[in-house]
Amino acid sequence: MATAQLPAPPVRWARAPFYFNSAAHLLRIEREKATTLGELLAALRAVPSESIFQHTFRTLQEHHFIREGFSNDYAHWAFAACNEVGLAERLASVDVREFTSVESLRERIVQIVQDYLNRNPRAADRVAMEPFYFCASDAVVVPTPFVARNLAEFRDCMNQVSIHSIHYHFIEARLRLKLNSNDFSVWLESELDMGRIADQFNRIDIYTSTLQDVRRTMVRVIERALHSQA
Amino acid sequence: MEPRKDRVEERAAEQTGSEVGTQTPVEAPPRNGGTEAPEAPFRERRKRPRISETPPAPPPPPRLDDYEPIIGKPELDELRFLARPLRGKTVKMVNSTSLGGGVAEMLNRLIPLLSELEVVTRWDVITGGNDFFEVTKAFHNALHGGEYVLTKEARDIFMMYNEQNRQRMQFSEDLFVIHDPQPVGLVRSRERNRGKWMWRCHIDLSNPHPDVWGFLRPMVEEYDATVFSSPAFSRQLMAPQYLFFPCIDPLSEKNKELDPAYIQKVCDDFGIDRSRPIVTQISRFDRLKDPVGVIQAYKLAKKYVDCQLVLAGGGATDDPEGAIVLQEVMEAAGEDPDVIILNLPPWSALEINALQRASTVVVQKSLKEGFGLTVTEALWKGKPTIAGAVGGIPTQVIHKLTGVLVHSVEGCAYQIRYLLTHPEFAEQMGKNGREHVKENFLMTTNVKRWLLLFQILLGMVRKEKTT
Repeated sequence: MATAQLPAPPVRWARAPFYFNSAAHLLRIEREKATTLGELLAALRAVPSESIFQHTFRTLQEHHFIREGFSNDYAHWAFAACNEVGLAERLASVDVREFTSVESLRERIVQIVQDYLNRNPRAADRVAMEPFYFCASDAVVVPTPFVARNLAEFRDCMNQVSIHSIHYHFIEARLRLKLNSNDFSVWLESELDMGRIADQFNRIDIYTSTLQDVRRTMVRVIERALHSQA
Repeated sequence: MEPRKDRVEERAAEQTGSEVGTQTPVEAPPRNGGTEAPEAPFRERRKRPRISETPPAPPPPPRLDDYEPIIGKPELDELRFLARPLRGKTVKMVNSTSLGGGVAEMLNRLIPLLSELEVVTRWDVITGGNDFFEVTKAFHNALHGGEYVLTKEARDIFMMYNEQNRQRMQFSEDLFVIHDPQPVGLVRSRERNRGKWMWRCHIDLSNPHPDVWGFLRPMVEEYDATVFSSPAFSRQLMAPQYLFFPCIDPLSEKNKELDPAYIQKVCDDFGIDRSRPIVTQISRFDRLKDPVGVIQAYKLAKKYVDCQLVLAGGGATDDPEGAIVLQEVMEAAGEDPDVIILNLPPWSALEINALQRASTVVVQKSLKEGFGLTVTEALWKGKPTIAGAVGGIPTQVIHKLTGVLVHSVEGCAYQIRYLLTHPEFAEQMGKNGREHVKENFLMTTNVKRWLLLFQILLGMVRKEKTT
């Protein structure tokens, strides 16, 4: 029995393709170190913003394979070296994706530590089991050969790019864009008019997923969209 | 003047690096460590270790493409991209030995990879007489916090040989990487050229002898950048300081994938029963590695879980203290047939690899440690790892995520019990540990770090403004 074949829906082509980049980072050792929470607070106010970036955004990338544990170095140190679990939990609750500048992120972290020390003044001078060494990150943008012009190509690229490329576009991007969004969502919305997918991307929880999980979730979302298009 | 062989060997011992495999080649000792005591009955049922008595020829260094199955094509592409602007630039690396030690081992791998990326890299070794290397060995110990009286004679010897080497060498390259304190004075040649100079310090400078550091510091301050293995090892300096973790080569004999049949053969040779849990510590017989503490932990754990303990290491044949420690270890083990003590020659990389891979749990219960590359090796093999929270180990072992940190014999015993009875948790931790090494402690990551540093110093990069 012959069946009438429906014509395939037209592929939506982006006006501007998506060029996948990545970033390579080099760690610099800063002069500041803290042996107490009081010293941590003072250094948090003084260190360059690249240092705040390193201990929050970057540490998330360096430990992209872990779902559990504390999500930034300050929280980890407060827990593991200072045994200040309450402070650690509050620091760990800071979601870097809520910040579009490192300076506002710094203010938030300073505020948390300051509030905690106001309530627990004796904690300020208690010596930690090991010092906190402030580092900073020098980043260099690295282009990749991956370019997407439509949703199917975008999915193929997502399957192949490195985890670092996903971190660069999905997590670090908000510092460049100064938006509570990411490069992928911005492109999908502006170039392919796919605001729904863009929103779904923005709702992915990066703290309970590894970056590989993030990749898989994104690919799944795209595949569902491609399937429904077909 | 060429250094004498014995000096070369001593210098090898000064270098940082993996704890096993850096000693002078020695004949494989008998299973009982060469002591006069008759073999205990439990040892009679074991075969003697079948380790060749001469070092095998080293395999050719791997090529960049060989790493693709491990790190993936995007990572290799990134290395090639980062190397592109550096094509035709020349680099000189200088250290104090081409034989033995972690630095020479690392340079033997790093330089072919940089050259394959068309970053022409030349490796020079400084020369000196016995007097020079006696001074540098004393400096090495003093920089680690040892007692020392710095004399004018020692300073003069150090400077004289640095000056001789400076006169002997050409400094026409674009970039200079000087490793460790011995050749630090070569930086005085920077007046004659326009290159960028980096000092790569592999040792722990957290508590240096003030006179020795005061003598070396003015030379260190002349560099454009310094590189340390840990923030804790660094000093306050004018030039920027960078962090390069020590690394392992996943394709080296000690870390490459092995045929399961070979692993089985090594276990058979050493009398290790693979049908039962195996707890292993690979380390020199050195009190700072606390092998007796490991035996105590094993004995405590064994009240609750069945297991064997393998203590494999070297240093007991060429190091008088190592022989004493081995004797202590043998006494602590007593007649327990499940404690397997192996004093291995330095060229046992493949056997060590096999022992690590055969292990159910790996322990590194150090009391003091540099970076602890044996931990890196165990993590890379996906092994649940229990390690002392000292030196560079906490950088690698994130407690309960990539391994477990312990501070006592009792803590170690508990973790052995826990990991042997919670295999799913142990397996997940092993997977995390391997990822952590892949991300931070592989040779290819260090190639990337060097390329980035070269670009930054040559002003070639537009740094990403992330803030």
